[in-house]
Amino acid sequence: MNVLEKLQTIDRRVLYLLIAAVIAVPLLQRPSRHPRIVFAEVRNAYETLQKVPKNKIVIISCVWGPGTRAENEPQTRAIIRHLLMQGTRFVILSWDQLGSQLTYEDASEISSELGKRYGTDWVHLGYNPGPMYAIIRGLGKSFQEVFKVDRFGKKLRSIPATRNVRDYRDIGAVVEITPSGTVASWIAYFNQPFDVPLIFCPTAVMSAEAYPYLDSGQLDGMLNGVIGAAQYETLIGMENERTYAAAAAWALSCAHIFIIVLIVLGNLGYALSKRSTRRGGGKTIG
Amino acid sequence: MSSVWNWIAIPRHGWQFAVFLCGALVIGCAVLMLLTSTPPRYRKTIVAAVTFLAGLYYALEFLIPPALWPLKPPRNPLSEVQPLVATLTQIIWSFALLLGVWNLFLIHGRAVAKHGRGWYNSAAFFISFFAILGAGLLKDYAKNAGLSKASESIFTVLFSGFLTSLDATMFSLIAFYIVSAAYRAFRVKSLEAALMMAAAAIIMLALVPVGAEITNWLPQAGLLSALRVERIGYWLLTSPNMAAQRAIAFGIAVGSLAMGLRIWLSLERGNFFDRQL
Repeated sequence: MNVLEKLQTIDRRVLYLLIAAVIAVPLLQRPSRHPRIVFAEVRNAYETLQKVPKNKIVIISCVWGPGTRAENEPQTRAIIRHLLMQGTRFVILSWDQLGSQLTYEDASEISSELGKRYGTDWVHLGYNPGPMYAIIRGLGKSFQEVFKVDRFGKKLRSIPATRNVRDYRDIGAVVEITPSGTVASWIAYFNQPFDVPLIFCPTAVMSAEAYPYLDSGQLDGMLNGVIGAAQYETLIGMENERTYAAAAAWALSCAHIFIIVLIVLGNLGYALSKRSTRRGGGKTIG
Repeated sequence: MSSVWNWIAIPRHGWQFAVFLCGALVIGCAVLMLLTSTPPRYRKTIVAAVTFLAGLYYALEFLIPPALWPLKPPRNPLSEVQPLVATLTQIIWSFALLLGVWNLFLIHGRAVAKHGRGWYNSAAFFISFFAILGAGLLKDYAKNAGLSKASESIFTVLFSGFLTSLDATMFSLIAFYIVSAAYRAFRVKSLEAALMMAAAAIIMLALVPVGAEITNWLPQAGLLSALRVERIGYWLLTSPNMAAQRAIAFGIAVGSLAMGLRIWLSLERGNFFDRQL
């Protein structure tokens, strides 16, 4: 086997080892440097939450579970931190059984770090099986009737943070953190009919679908995967901290470059072997 | 209607909770038995009628503006019961969870009973199911402080150590397959393939911090700034990508409308719709 063939047929186990190393090094080293650029949609998301009046509540709707934790958890943590720092009350609603526990742990950790209290500054509504459209449509009419109790079974009417939340008029914004295209339900059944700002936090692979909604103004901002989370951290003053989002942003940088290099190598081998085939030697693979 | 529902739906404790639980079970079983004992052709009609009524509610509630109802002040009366409908649908959807558990018990129970090939995998399901269920319940409800604390530790190990890590691992495997597939499948064999590859490479670089570093020597403003990787990537996302996404979204919307109408009117045929219930 000559070099041209080898370039096209690197053993997949070698590739697996290399990609594992490429991703692991920045994650272990944890660089503090955050991305230099902040996308317009991330800045818009930040400004939207900055403008939420203090007498209104923000709904953080989390559809994610451990599968997409690497991307959605940094987004959730960045949003929670921002809201707690500026003193905006929020409720977390989880549509995933495992995600419910993870989001509760995240909010508890950040809340105790910032000296905030459960029930006064934030509330977790627990896991909800769905269907999303029915619940979303219902909560615009009556928040208390749709979500009667929090994750511990305590009545929302008796919790200071949610006591006065009646319907859409008391909801300042919705943040949808999701690995899939669930944002369409919020747009159709809540944010458009009741004119409430909506921020979308998808995994990077899903973000391309959101640009028409951003362009039409149906979305007020977006955190594009873990990069969006790292950019959001820059906006809330964490640009010099060693966070997971910053490390993941550099790990993704290395992984993307590695993939591009591999594709170029494969194509180089393909092009060269094609040329030598035409001349009467060599073998084209792929 | 709403006040009756509120009376039914308020959280109960102690003997009231037990009475409501038993009542719900008896009514649920009775309805299920009634439905099961109904001849198939009538059963199908009942399901079609319920589907139609449920769809009709949403169609009327969502599509008819409040001004068209002869009420003062103008309002859609169907919207007022929306929270009640939301609660009812939540309850119905919760049954799907129970159905899933029941199905798993049936399949793995049979495998364990038959002692067939790989039966120990099914046994592992039962062990893990009852272990996390027991630890979770004891953690929240055990009256003995020591037992509660021990259960919490076990639950943490099972939840954080096993469940979330296994779930994340399954998803993370995709990264390895994507790398391998991209390396093997991406071959520039045509102009279209070359364009796609160039666009993909630019987007991949534009969305990560290193992209901005590569072309950081270019000015932030002016004509040359348009050549910065993140600018080109943003243009690709907000112009060609957005046009394509809009076209796809329109297509999906029209298809969903047609599909929704077929299901609502029970016209859909094929798997899950034609089989005897």
